[in-house]
Amino acid sequence: MRVGLLSALGLALMGGGCSHRERVVVGAKNFTESDFLAELLAQQIERRTGLPVERRLHLGGTYVCHEAITSGKIDLYVEYTGTAYTEILKHPPMADADSVYRVDSLEYAKTLGLTWGRPLGFNNTFAITVRRADAEKYGLRTISDVARIAPQLRAGFGYEFLQRADGFGGLARAYGLRFAAPPTAMDLGLTYRALAQGNVDLIAGNSTDGTIQALDLVALEDDRHYFPPYDAAPVMRTELVTRHPEVVRALAELAGKLSAAEMRRLNLAADVEHRDIAALAREWLAKNLP
Amino acid sequence: MTAVLEVRDLSYRLPGAGDRHLVTALSFSVAPGETLVLLGRSGSGKTTTLKLINRLLEPTSGEVRLQGEATATLEPYRLRRRIGYVIQEIGLFPHFTVAQNVGLVPRLEGWPPDRIAGRVRELLALVGLDPDEFAERSPRALSGGQRQRVGVARALAADPALLLLDEPFGALDPITRVELQREFRALEGRLGKGMVFVTHDVREGLLLGTRLGLMHEGRLAFLGTPEEFRRSNDPQVKQFMEAA
Amino acid sequence: MNLLRFYGDHAREAFGLLGQHLVLVGASTLLAILIGVPLGVLLTRRPAWRGPVLGLANVFQTIPSLALFGFLIPLPFLGGIGARTAIVALVVYALLPIVRNTYVGISGVDPAVREAGRGMGMTDRQLLTMVEIPLGLGVIFAGVRVATVVGVGTATIAAAIGAGGLGVYIFRGVSTVDDTLILAGALPAALLALIADGLLGLVERRFAR
Repeated sequence: MRVGLLSALGLALMGGGCSHRERVVVGAKNFTESDFLAELLAQQIERRTGLPVERRLHLGGTYVCHEAITSGKIDLYVEYTGTAYTEILKHPPMADADSVYRVDSLEYAKTLGLTWGRPLGFNNTFAITVRRADAEKYGLRTISDVARIAPQLRAGFGYEFLQRADGFGGLARAYGLRFAAPPTAMDLGLTYRALAQGNVDLIAGNSTDGTIQALDLVALEDDRHYFPPYDAAPVMRTELVTRHPEVVRALAELAGKLSAAEMRRLNLAADVEHRDIAALAREWLAKNLP
Repeated sequence: MTAVLEVRDLSYRLPGAGDRHLVTALSFSVAPGETLVLLGRSGSGKTTTLKLINRLLEPTSGEVRLQGEATATLEPYRLRRRIGYVIQEIGLFPHFTVAQNVGLVPRLEGWPPDRIAGRVRELLALVGLDPDEFAERSPRALSGGQRQRVGVARALAADPALLLLDEPFGALDPITRVELQREFRALEGRLGKGMVFVTHDVREGLLLGTRLGLMHEGRLAFLGTPEEFRRSNDPQVKQFMEAA
Repeated sequence: MNLLRFYGDHAREAFGLLGQHLVLVGASTLLAILIGVPLGVLLTRRPAWRGPVLGLANVFQTIPSLALFGFLIPLPFLGGIGARTAIVALVVYALLPIVRNTYVGISGVDPAVREAGRGMGMTDRQLLTMVEIPLGLGVIFAGVRVATVVGVGTATIAAAIGAGGLGVYIFRGVSTVDDTLILAGALPAALLALIADGLLGLVERRFAR
């Protein structure tokens, strides 16, 4: 009787003391798609494992999220294979999707204590984007096409793209891009508006952005294959994986289920139609993983 | 000889105060060389009367004539440049030198600089301040008495025919006050200007005035020479003399 | 030190951004003076306007800067991305201290001085230009000083809407978790604010009476 009471007390104390660690924290980068994917992961974990999940959406760029996960402030977030490869692991860009994923998995596990989950099924690469009117006027289909007339254009990019090794610097070198003036730097979210309003003529958007379609813009083909693949996949603290393998199982259900076209449709719904991403995630899960 | 100043049936009602008049049916005149002292308690309308003359306040009814001209027909600022104005707080410009203060109206009137400089020296000497010592001083470096001397000099600069003085020595200590009163009395005779001098100090009034006017609740209760004032049996006058 | 090396490698870019920053602050402060001082003077002539005008300027002041930048972007003429929108926002922020201090400086002139001036025959304009403004200049400059120092700080946010300036380094540094970059922008901005404060403080004291 006394032992029972003591162990119950002990368990309660342990539960109380460790309760904050039983909560899973999902992070997201500072754009809609990342917020949505975090919400998707969070809901999937909640419905399959019953663990409480805290969302920390719209944290910041790649580096901010990486800081957050390595320091334990978040337990997982969705990263893109190419981004991890060139920005975190600092390798020169490579084109083969499988190799990039393999290297990411191995090195993350070995040196960072982080585990890669299975890719969700779409590649969100940088989309060098122009207005449709300009694409038709100058016959622009590929980035090489735009390189021809670059001196007549003004470019505008977000701060991360300007700083990254696989960003503007490398792109300009790979295609010999020379604009009239150095690109204008602004908050990433504003670049689409700037392009549509005519403040700039060329931006680096994301290939799954809904706004490309909505604003009648054209994404140019990366004909020289400068950009590495950017397959979206969850990155988790190995600690979490060890303690809660059920989380990995739950997330593995999502592998390969989300296509680029589907992601684009979801982005459009969230950004242009202003639909609530939690509702969108719920609908998607109900339909695709009942 | 035309009067320097003629006031006829002057009244002033405070805007928005119903029917209350600060000054009612005031009539008097001031000849060149004459000093009319306006006596009365606070609130009797003395200061208001001065301001109605130089149109710092606009009369509700009645007429004011300066050297025969109706003041209502002149631009207020043009009118005021022909009238010297000395107030109790003096109001010297702190960022101007004594010379710049005194020479203000001539400067506004476009006098050539050397004429202004000469006039300034002349006036400073007139009010008992050594031009070499005081011309370039800042008002902050002056005593109360010195400042009011500059104030008087400033009022005289453009040689106005009329001077309005509102308790000019009221803010000074008794000794300085007496000193300035005596000097002012001597100056009055030499200047030959018309003056309206407001004070609540009977002794000052009797000393400096060629005529005295006693104001009571906006009306002129008495108008006459100092002698007549002293001998008067008018209850208002007696009350004022006793209380003073 | 890392920072010195950074400046060495990026001297031209750094100077360019500093120049942009100075233009943002200089242009906006100048415009705010051109609008604000006459407005402050007007308030001394029309006391009824004082409540509404100062109240409005106060409301503008309380709008968070990033929010104001955001509000202005969609506007047809004043808006858009870039330095012009930023300058509009910066002018809005500089208005309150300048208008209010102009009003206080001028209405704080000794009433006896004002009465003497009017009584001697100064026109309203002469009173304003020869007496009220010279005597109020110290307080007016204090307002300009506050506006400038606030402007230097607020201008760093302008980089979010593509207006350039030292904020570019700060934003880049924040998005890539690079402390050297953040400092590269923040340090000169802070120094600029201090220098502006000091210099304008000297000017203010010279005019204070």
